[in-house]
Amino acid sequence: MFGSRQERRGEPSRSLISARSLKALQTTISRSGPAAMVSYTLIGAIVLLGGIGYAIDEWRGTSPWFLLGGLLLGLIVGFYELAKTLWRS
Amino acid sequence: MQIEQVQEHAGEAAAEGFNAGAVIIEHVANSPIDHPLIHLPTIAGIDLSVTKHVFMLWVVAALVFAAVTIAVRRYLRQDRLVPSGFMNALEAVVEFIRDNVVRPSVGDTWAPTWMPLVMTFFVFILTANAIGLIPVFEVLGLLDHWVLHAGEESFFARLLHGGSTATSNFNVTAALAVVTFFAIIVAGSKAHGAVQHWKNLVPHGVSPFLAVALIPIEILGMLVRPFALTMRLAANMTGGHIAILAILSFVFIFAEMAGSYVGIGVGAAFSVPLAVAITALEIIVVLVQAYVFTLLTAVFIGMAIHAHH
Repeated sequence: MFGSRQERRGEPSRSLISARSLKALQTTISRSGPAAMVSYTLIGAIVLLGGIGYAIDEWRGTSPWFLLGGLLLGLIVGFYELAKTLWRS
Repeated sequence: MQIEQVQEHAGEAAAEGFNAGAVIIEHVANSPIDHPLIHLPTIAGIDLSVTKHVFMLWVVAALVFAAVTIAVRRYLRQDRLVPSGFMNALEAVVEFIRDNVVRPSVGDTWAPTWMPLVMTFFVFILTANAIGLIPVFEVLGLLDHWVLHAGEESFFARLLHGGSTATSNFNVTAALAVVTFFAIIVAGSKAHGAVQHWKNLVPHGVSPFLAVALIPIEILGMLVRPFALTMRLAANMTGGHIAILAILSFVFIFAEMAGSYVGIGVGAAFSVPLAVAITALEIIVVLVQAYVFTLLTAVFIGMAIHAHH
């Protein structure tokens, strides 16, 4: 009725501590969204555009120019997305 | 009679030799296209035959639909609306996704609109991932091998070929990512209007010269996001299964090289403990990957809605 013994002595009870740490975990998770997105987009852009460049090289026999171009474009797109997220926050 | 059969099987297996690569691929890949579960005609160049991964998608959909519908109906029939058991767990999950995934990224105004899509993604992907960890078909395969002896062309025998994790197939995750891709466009169009959504692609307040250069980069970025979603989920689900199978293959590789006692020793000391540990890790991966897919979907939708804030 009056809370646990620790609460009456002014110390937070165990359930309160675990509730707080759960809350902290939840805020961390919800803030990590943009960071997770950017990390995957950076890798994804390089892999996708590099892969498309490689496929064009295989098809037209122009190795290695489209692969290099694709990787470069992937870097630009990936880092542009990263920069945009950083500017936003 | 039984023992003779066992010896015969063992003899056959030994004569063929153990091919780790072939075994692993058969346990991870979809059923071969010339041996699908149900043969259907090819329409407009697309083979509509039902393969194992398609079948698993149906199983997952039916399972999720039945479990959630039954739980919610039973809950609504109660006199006092106090959830218990499965319904309690379901409610906790729904609240977690709403308060920690959808609301922070999409915002309170649009959360009710996009909550159903994000929640469906989470439950569907989680169930599809989790079913891949349950060795139902391996057990059925043992049953077939020793008891049933179903014919090579029967539905049951075809069911045993191929992996059961539908989300480890790039086509499945690509389809899910395409839903996300269109959800982003619809979210932006609903919040800002169809024209303004496409104008939002270029950041506010940059010089017209720079804006022209940024348009192709923004369009590429738009296409890269669903690609990243596709690869991440499928690669993670395939990778864990390959790791477990590769470690278990050591038992048979060593048994072939140095005799069955060495193989059993390697299994007991190294392969089985490590495989158990990786399976435990996979349980976390199953949860995290479903969570990350839904989180990223919510973040992308939120970015389209809050384009200039």
